[in-house]
Amino acid sequence: MLIGTIIYALINSVILCLIAMGFNLTFGISGVANFAYGAFYILSAYTTWIMINSFHLPYFLSVIFSIIFTMALGALMYQVVLKRVRGQAISEVIATFAIGLSILELFRYFGFVGFEYNLPPFIDASVVIMGTYVDVQRIIIVIAGIILVLALWFFTHNTSLGLAFRGIAQDERTALTFGIDSDKIATLAVSIGAGFAAIAASVIIPLGTISPSDGYDILIKALAVCIIGGLGSTGGVIFASFLIGFAERFTDTFIGSHWTMIVSLAAILIVLIVKPSGLFGKQKELEERI
Amino acid sequence: MKKRKERIDRGIKARSGDIFALSSYREMMYLSAPRFVPIIGFLILPLLLGVYWQKVLLSVAVFALLAISWDILAQTGMVSLGQALFFGVGAYITGALNHYWGVPPFISIPLATIFGGIICTLMLLPVLRLRGIYFSMVTLIIPLMLVRVIEATKIFGGTEGLTGMTPLPSRWVEVYLVIGIMLVCLFGFRRMMDSDYGLVLRGICDNDRSVINAGINIYWYKTQALFIASSIGAFAGALMTHVYMFVGMPVFALDYSIFPIAAVVVGGPGTLAGATLGACLLVPLSEALRGFGGLRIVFYGIFLVVFTVAIPEGIFPYVQRKYNEFERWVEVDK
Amino acid sequence: MKFSKFFTVCMLHALLFFFIFTPGVWAKKPIVIGVPTSIGFLEGKECLKSVQLAVEEINEKGGVKVGNESRMLKVESLDIRDAAPGVPVPEALLGIEKLILEKKPTALVVGPFRSEALMAAMDIIAKYKVPLLGTIAMSPASEGKIKKNPEKYKYIFRLCLNAKYLVKYLAGTMGFINSQFGFNKVYIMNQDVAWARKTAEIVKKVYFDKAGWEVVGMESYPTGTSDFSSALMKVKAKGAQVILPIFDMPQSGILVKQWNAMKVPSLMAGFISPLAGPSAWKTFNKKIEGAINVNFEMGSAISSDKIPLSKTFVESYEKRWGKKLEAGHGPAPSYESVYLLAEAIERANSLDPDAIVEELEKTDRQGVMGRIKFDEGHQTVYDMDPDKAAVAAVVQWTDAGKRTIVFPPLIAEGKIKLPKGLAAVK
Repeated sequence: MLIGTIIYALINSVILCLIAMGFNLTFGISGVANFAYGAFYILSAYTTWIMINSFHLPYFLSVIFSIIFTMALGALMYQVVLKRVRGQAISEVIATFAIGLSILELFRYFGFVGFEYNLPPFIDASVVIMGTYVDVQRIIIVIAGIILVLALWFFTHNTSLGLAFRGIAQDERTALTFGIDSDKIATLAVSIGAGFAAIAASVIIPLGTISPSDGYDILIKALAVCIIGGLGSTGGVIFASFLIGFAERFTDTFIGSHWTMIVSLAAILIVLIVKPSGLFGKQKELEERI
Repeated sequence: MKKRKERIDRGIKARSGDIFALSSYREMMYLSAPRFVPIIGFLILPLLLGVYWQKVLLSVAVFALLAISWDILAQTGMVSLGQALFFGVGAYITGALNHYWGVPPFISIPLATIFGGIICTLMLLPVLRLRGIYFSMVTLIIPLMLVRVIEATKIFGGTEGLTGMTPLPSRWVEVYLVIGIMLVCLFGFRRMMDSDYGLVLRGICDNDRSVINAGINIYWYKTQALFIASSIGAFAGALMTHVYMFVGMPVFALDYSIFPIAAVVVGGPGTLAGATLGACLLVPLSEALRGFGGLRIVFYGIFLVVFTVAIPEGIFPYVQRKYNEFERWVEVDK
Repeated sequence: MKFSKFFTVCMLHALLFFFIFTPGVWAKKPIVIGVPTSIGFLEGKECLKSVQLAVEEINEKGGVKVGNESRMLKVESLDIRDAAPGVPVPEALLGIEKLILEKKPTALVVGPFRSEALMAAMDIIAKYKVPLLGTIAMSPASEGKIKKNPEKYKYIFRLCLNAKYLVKYLAGTMGFINSQFGFNKVYIMNQDVAWARKTAEIVKKVYFDKAGWEVVGMESYPTGTSDFSSALMKVKAKGAQVILPIFDMPQSGILVKQWNAMKVPSLMAGFISPLAGPSAWKTFNKKIEGAINVNFEMGSAISSDKIPLSKTFVESYEKRWGKKLEAGHGPAPSYESVYLLAEAIERANSLDPDAIVEELEKTDRQGVMGRIKFDEGHQTVYDMDPDKAAVAAVVQWTDAGKRTIVFPPLIAEGKIKLPKGLAAVK
């Protein structure tokens, strides 16, 4: 029981981490709050579904296509909408949230609800790990999570583009004097963030079904993880995912499923009050509180 | 030949703006029209509208109140993403009072307004020191959490909520009560924000550290602003509870947080009048689009995007400018 | 400025559309049937289509006779979105009020999803005196309200299964399982909404506790839960032979997939909405063999040879809409409610709500779900015999992707088969 809970808590943590990673990249690293994140997540899943079922593409190709499509859409959203309200945090939030709302409700309107909208698992089998059955899809999720985290870390620390991302995050004006094009970087950040959402959706959605309402949940989960971890800190996001992931599973098993949400929300509240920049946040203290 | 646009105050604005001894009807009309048109409009409209659109007007006023409450907070430097907290706390207080102790609405609504304000202020007191987006996140989360707490502990009727509240005596009372309060809030708080007291509040938003330097305790001022804003929200919630004779978890819904912000964005922040105008436009629009079913929300989203991008200052400042100034093209000096 | 101009043009177009499509005064005014429900959800979508199907059938036969003239029926639907999380109840109520005031329907069918919304809507319906034949919300609390004040709330009827009858069916199924296999350890999982929680509590109280079962666990899940691993591990650890799930959210599909992936050796018998329709076999990759599910009403995505009307309904739905019925709750009673209404109007020979209600109360019709009659709480009586009352169907998925009705015995097509890894105790 305990071991089983730990195994599933680990998987849960990686799922949370995957969900939050893209949001963290756009919001934390380049400072754009993309509240359409949950919608991109759902959108990419539907794109894959349409590719498989209407255009009869192979599963693998559909996934690749949907990732590229979502990334393009992210870039488009930045160029058409966000560019014009850049820097006004509230306008950014409202505009992206409204876009997300439109995407999700459009799918609902066109009747994309029902249980036939789901993606098959990559490999449909189960294995036994220390006496607990775990399906292969969940193991794929863990592997995908690890690869993505490593890739992101490598990208932001070892490539000049990644360094430019962090430069913009730390001080946009100084970054500009070094010849970093802030619009270009932000476009890429939104686009790559959306791509992360698409990757996360591709591996996570096969566990259940696709439904427009999930878009809102995904956004809230991503927000929660990013707040606790500290905006812009990759290490923080990983740590926070594990914190929430374990807290959720353990409350579920030992206290009651009711309290899972409350525990994670309370964690956010406490972190925000005590250390608003998050556990690993590096933002300047005076910006956050006085 | 290069030209540029020049904006100059209209003559009548210059004459009536500074000189207080008004000399002609035109000037008096000029000054009073922007104030009287909405007042008279709001007072007459319920008489002209059918039952259904009266309900819509009621929603307009309720959302206008929430938007005003949001705008006051925003002007004090506290951007809230959780107006639903104020709304919901007010709704639950009046609901509990009426359901468990049978308190009549005309006592329970004022009680809910005051105690709702106090409770919300106490809840947010620990995070008063937070700034910017961090404050916003906390306000976003608290209502979500309260919903879960109610769900888990099953207090106040749990997921089913409480039904069978005492309704207000008639729909005329409902409409005129909320419109009256809304107008009082609109003009009263507009005046307050222009007074010295309001200056301090706006100073906190512009540069809180220099306000501290002036020897002013900004936390005390922030607490007061919070109390004012949450009382307004709580009143709106309490009133809606008695109108719909129901209170339940949906009073903490995201709609009540997002809609007021949208209204302010559309109307124009920082004026309160803009907030009201925004609610007057958005709520009927959302009703008119209801015929489109689910597509309504999509339209609504697109509308919001277009607005934030195309007219970021909002409608009210735009209208205000047209009313007070005229524009002309002039040659650019060499 | 370019944007605002573009915007104005857009708005003008929208307005134009609005006026063009607002129907003008018709020569012979049709009888309007309002459908205020959550159309964005599977059950709502299929209920609306079933209502349209019934209306078209009736119109084809010449409409409804009132006085000397036959009048056509017309459907006016409105998405009240009450099932979506985060939509406040007043918003849903405003939708219902709008439909009543603007389209002036003679009666409403289908109605709200959530019992919370139905309870709050009852006062509005009583105020405007428009009969409502509800087919989705299931909490018996509304009947209590009707019984307490029959004069005020007499306009509200319900054709679908309510939680009380669902309990009867669940208890019946469990008793059947117990007598066949000797199982007596159950784990109850339910969604945290009024009807599901009530159902779970009542099943436990009136059946499990009395019949000597051991309820090894009972847990309710907030709508939107997406991981059931800890519950399934508990099921395994405590040796429950039967899982009783009660869910109507789309995420409950995850529970089925996880149940399969974790190879939990228990019989899944209860209600999970994704398992109701024929497409579930494909959705779950042929991995639902052995799962038992209650389709709330005969005709809702399931038909029986013993009730020919249910077969006709399921087939004509597929023919009309080109898609199979998938919702295990709602479509059949929605279809029936139009017929009930038409018959009541003809009998009353007027459109007066009180007269219609009086005739509706006298309803006795052999329909898709069996024999339809109302009790004094205006709830359709459900029982085990289709000739005496309406019936639901307990269905088991078999290895070939077929569904077999296993309960009630009178319409059963086969016996319950145990999934691999689970042996009978007896």
